Amino acid sequence: MHIACRNLHYTYPGADFPVFSNLDWSIEGPGFFALFGLSGTGKSTLARLISGELSPMQGDINIPNAGRVLYTHNAERIPGWDTVGAHLRSVTPASKIPLLTTILKDYGMEAHLESRFSGLSMGQKNRINLARYLVQEFDLLIADEVLANVDEPTRNHILERLKTLFPQKTFIYISHNALEVARFSQTIHVLTHGSTAGTNRIHKITGLDQQEGIEIPEELVQERVYAILRSAASTSEPRL
Amino acid sequence: MRTLKRLFQFISIYATALGLLWGVKIVYGFSDYLIPPPLEMLQVASQNGLLYVKAVLDTLAVAIAGHVVAIILATAVGLVGRLSTWPGNLTRTAAYNLQAYPIVAVAPIIFLFLGDGLASRLLIAAMICYFPLLLSFIGIFAKPVEEVEHFFRITGRINWRLELSIRTFENLDKITTVIVGSGTMALVGTIIAEFLAATNGIGYIIRKALYQSNLAKILVALFLIGLCSSLYLSFIETIGGWIKMRLYGIRSSPYNQV
Repeated sequence: MHIACRNLHYTYPGADFPVFSNLDWSIEGPGFFALFGLSGTGKSTLARLISGELSPMQGDINIPNAGRVLYTHNAERIPGWDTVGAHLRSVTPASKIPLLTTILKDYGMEAHLESRFSGLSMGQKNRINLARYLVQEFDLLIADEVLANVDEPTRNHILERLKTLFPQKTFIYISHNALEVARFSQTIHVLTHGSTAGTNRIHKITGLDQQEGIEIPEELVQERVYAILRSAASTSEPRL
Repeated sequence: MRTLKRLFQFISIYATALGLLWGVKIVYGFSDYLIPPPLEMLQVASQNGLLYVKAVLDTLAVAIAGHVVAIILATAVGLVGRLSTWPGNLTRTAAYNLQAYPIVAVAPIIFLFLGDGLASRLLIAAMICYFPLLLSFIGIFAKPVEEVEHFFRITGRINWRLELSIRTFENLDKITTVIVGSGTMALVGTIIAEFLAATNGIGYIIRKALYQSNLAKILVALFLIGLCSSLYLSFIETIGGWIKMRLYGIRSSPYNQV
């Protein structure tokens, strides 16, 4: 799956400054990619533009094979009238029920299916939300801070399993965790603040793409983390 | 429990107000004619109690009927008002403008056309509580609950019934509060209608007592009105609470969470 944004411009209604102007960016899937950046650099805005939730004011976004793009974020909830299990069953296509069972087992959520969503911890809510998206038909899933409240070992396990279970899908994983994106991503796309509002740019850094059962030396991870953080803190142009 | 609490609150307020009235009477030396003594109130209650209870139940029945009509109508119009197309825009604009007009002012016209019977009282009761209900319902039905609706929208599952279910469920507390508040207004509307021209109900009894300058009768009538409205409102709250408990599930009800 090839996604290309060209000359993208977006300003929120009522805002004084654009989030982006003349932004060019592309990724070539399948694979696990990360979108990293400091707060306010426009990661979620870019995700919503790609998923079609927002429309660019100028420029265009090309997804040539018209693949199905889903976008999920960590503030999502399931309707409170159903138990978690009932909701998951109601939104999972029959052909994906075995996959749902596998995912719930992987995520350690089997024991919580009779609970209401409001009764779960934040980390459990994150896992259930991600699970229901993974059993939908999609070509690209943009996951915006979806594991923000999950503990690190579980998060690592989830990301590894994600890559094993969905090798042909494209993921754009938005996170503030440099260690995590350095370790698991194929490429880290770092959004930086421009010298002036709206001149944000994206730097690409090659990630370590850790797979299930393969350990990556810590020194390598640290090296990538520094590169990512340096890039995130830099501006795309000299500050005026 | 909720009913007892409401009754206790009302009786406390009523007793305090009565105490203040009698305190003013003693301090300023007002006559029994102006402010009746407790004994006279008891006599009025024992002589006219049954008649007053019937009258207040009559008023309450009309208020409940008017309230139900207003809720049904506000729900139906609210469903149109939530739309972003021209019927929705028209409904919203009309509702916002009409609610600014004091509905009581058109009550005489209603009596002119419909006479002083049940229909006028019912219509006035319904009209007085209709607009606050409508504005709230439009607000609730039109505002997306983004964090719940997002999944259904992006996966192509959303439809108007699901959207409505989500918004209603997420705003059950607000809806219950609005319905309880409008219940009081329905009762007020009915009593105002009875004050103005009707020939039945507790408002009519108060109007007659006013012509006779009989404060004892008015105070007894007010006591019965307060008692009945407390019971009715706590009944609505109980129904709302029961619905929420059924929908949220007892184990994970927000009421059981800290």
